[in-house]
Amino acid sequence: MDQTKEEDFGYDLFPERRKGKYKKGSIAESLFTFNHKCQVMLQFAMETSPYAKLLLSAMKSSGCKVWKDRHFSCEDCDGTVSGGFDAASSQIVLCQNNIHQQSHMNRVVTHELIHAFDHCRADVDWFNNFRHLACSEIRAANLSGDCSFSNEVSRFNFGLKQHHQECVRSRAIRSILAVRKINREEAEKIVDEVFEPCFNDHTPFGRIPHSKKDAKFAYRDYENRDRYYANL
Amino acid sequence: MDQSNKTTWRPPRVCDNYWSEFKHCKSLSNRFHHYYTYGTTPSCQQWKEDYYNCREWEKHKGTEAKEELQKSERNRVAEQSKFTPVWKLRQDPPRDWHLPLNQDKPQDS
Repeated sequence: MDQTKEEDFGYDLFPERRKGKYKKGSIAESLFTFNHKCQVMLQFAMETSPYAKLLLSAMKSSGCKVWKDRHFSCEDCDGTVSGGFDAASSQIVLCQNNIHQQSHMNRVVTHELIHAFDHCRADVDWFNNFRHLACSEIRAANLSGDCSFSNEVSRFNFGLKQHHQECVRSRAIRSILAVRKINREEAEKIVDEVFEPCFNDHTPFGRIPHSKKDAKFAYRDYENRDRYYANL
Repeated sequence: MDQSNKTTWRPPRVCDNYWSEFKHCKSLSNRFHHYYTYGTTPSCQQWKEDYYNCREWEKHKGTEAKEELQKSERNRVAEQSKFTPVWKLRQDPPRDWHLPLNQDKPQDS
C-alpha cells in the first residue's frame, strides 16, 4: 500500500521526546505536579505489583537491569495514550497527564515492561518489522491485565466466552494503528498471522496472569525456576 | 540422564505448591477466567495427582512416583513451548540498554 505520509513511528504522541532533550525540572515541579504523582505511583508499582516485580526480575536475569531514573520517564503525552516503549533510547514513557490511578499505573508499567522484556531477550525490529511489533503488542495486551473482564466492562465491551482473545486482538490492532501509518486491513492481517504463536507465548509468566493471585503464583514459580529445571 | 546423583533429586516444586495450584485451579474465579479466555472449563486433576505423587515420593522415595511427577512437569513445559517464535532470541542483551541518555539526541528514529 502507498504510504503518502512520512512514517514518524508514533513519536507525535510523545511531544517531549521530539525535542530531543531530556530536561530536568525545578524542585517545585518535582513536588507539586503530575510529574511527582507519576513518580510516586511508579515507585509503588515497582515495589508492590507482582506483575512488575516478576518482569523486573526476569529482565535483570536477562542482563537488562532496570534503573527507575534511567529507564522510566514521566512525561506529558498527546491524546489518551497511557504510555510507550522507546526502543531508540531504551526508555519506558509514562503519560503523567493520563494516568491518575494506581491500578492504571500498575497495568501500564506491566504492559510497557513486557515490550522492554521482549526488546531485551529477542532481536525485535521495532521500526521495520510489523510482525515483531504485532507480536509484542499481542503479548502485552494478553499478559498485562489490559483485557481483564472488569477492564473490558468498564469500556462497555461486554463479552464472555473467549472474549479475552477478541480483546487482545483488537487492542493489538489499535496499538499498531496508533504508532504506524498503515491501514486497518493491513494491521488486522498482520495480527491474525502472528496471533497464535504470540498469544501462546507467556514468557516470563508461564501462564496468563488474570489476577494478582495468578501473578503471585507466577512470581513464586519464577523465583524457584532453578530448582524446577534442575529436577525435571 | 546420569543417575549417579539419585539422592539429590527432589520434586521440581515444593509439595504444598501443587496443592495450592490445585485449589486455585478449581476456584470459581479461575474457572471464570479460563472460560473467559478459552471458552472451556479448566482441567485440574493433574495438579492433585502431582501433589499425591510428591507426597508419596517424600514418604517412600519410590521411582514410580518420581517418574510420574517428572512426566507431568515435562508435559507442562512442552505445552508452554508448542509454538514457533516470531523472532530470534538474543545471545546477549542490547548493547545500548545501559548507555547513559544523550542530552542532545539528534531527531531521528
